[in-house]
Amino acid sequence: MIILDIISDGLFAAVAAMGFGSISGPPLRAFPYIAILAAAGHASRYCLMTFLGIDIVSASLVAAFIIGCGSVPFGKKVFCPMTVLYIPALLPMVPGTYAYKTVFSLIMFFQEISSPTKGNEYLQEMIFNGAVSFSVLFMLAVGATVPVFLLRERANSMTRGSKFI
Amino acid sequence: MTREQIAETADFIARYLSYMLGAGVHTSRVVRNSKRLGNALGVDVAIHTSQKTAMLTVSDKDSNVLNTRVVDIPSFPISFEWNADLSALSWAAHDRKMTLEEVRREFDTLVSKPGMNPVFVLFMVSLANASFCRLFGGDIWAMLVTFTATMIGFFTRQHLTKKKVNHYIVFIVSAFVASICASTSLSLGIPTAEIALATSVLYLVPGVPLINGLIDITDGHIQTGISRIVNAFMLIVCIAIGLSITLILVKNSLL
Repeated sequence: MIILDIISDGLFAAVAAMGFGSISGPPLRAFPYIAILAAAGHASRYCLMTFLGIDIVSASLVAAFIIGCGSVPFGKKVFCPMTVLYIPALLPMVPGTYAYKTVFSLIMFFQEISSPTKGNEYLQEMIFNGAVSFSVLFMLAVGATVPVFLLRERANSMTRGSKFI
Repeated sequence: MTREQIAETADFIARYLSYMLGAGVHTSRVVRNSKRLGNALGVDVAIHTSQKTAMLTVSDKDSNVLNTRVVDIPSFPISFEWNADLSALSWAAHDRKMTLEEVRREFDTLVSKPGMNPVFVLFMVSLANASFCRLFGGDIWAMLVTFTATMIGFFTRQHLTKKKVNHYIVFIVSAFVASICASTSLSLGIPTAEIALATSVLYLVPGVPLINGLIDITDGHIQTGISRIVNAFMLIVCIAIGLSITLILVKNSLL
């Protein structure tokens, strides 16, 4: 059952990554690799959070690092810059719900501004959601960029000798 | 190199730079690629970028001729295909010793390639949002509602964008349309209706500019990075406004 949960998590993350990625028009040759990276990243975050009880911020950092490392060999294979592969793969992990809840709590705070207890609750919720969304986002970007920092030269010549132009 | 040749090279590099920035490529890659391209064409390039304009100075290595341009950055839809192809073009110019004429011809064919079929994108985005609903714990009925709501919402967004409506208004309207469609799940009595309602607007979240902004910040292009993030944050505010209009309308069935 646990195996099934992990696989379905990866599968749905792969579909989500390809779908949200398609808005930004990646080359068709990149789609299979985006799916693999997204599945690996999201499933590993799911495992870290459910089985090891690690918080969402640290788990996102690890998952993003896995995606970033994976995009090095894949990028070389399909002649795409690493960002073309790892940004779509990170999209299912972007904390969208937390981000709009931040703004939504702010709007609700204005609605309850005359009631001190409820107003406080919403304000607290806003800070909580804002902190989580910013930290997760920051960790996603940093985790995926670490391989670029480690392999400066190699990471910047992914498209060299491309067969596709 | 003559004065005219340098001016011509500067024109082309300015165009290359503005297309890349307009298509949502992170700043350090644009700067690196433009310098590589300049190098291949025999000139030095120095670049300053900001959110809506970019400035570049092209100088000949031997003579003391300089040429400076300030270009407006056109607002293209984000395109990873351009990102990959134009990066490859800069390497090709570098490795194959292409002339300016050849590079320009290749550039024109690359940017005139047709984009992805909008109907295919519509289907993919709806599927993606439905799987997102599943990831947040929605059941199969909630997934179906999300799929339909996203399809209607994204269709609205595509058409309003085509009509060149202001993009903040596009975001508010499509968030409202998608969430009001998803709120039907409340009256249908689906147990995970709240999840369907909350995920129905997630297709609008500007994930690419957010990640690009943070990549820029880690690369040291802090000003550009912050302006990208502020830009994306404005869109998130619009999503929240659209969603809260729906929530205020259906509040009675939520509580």
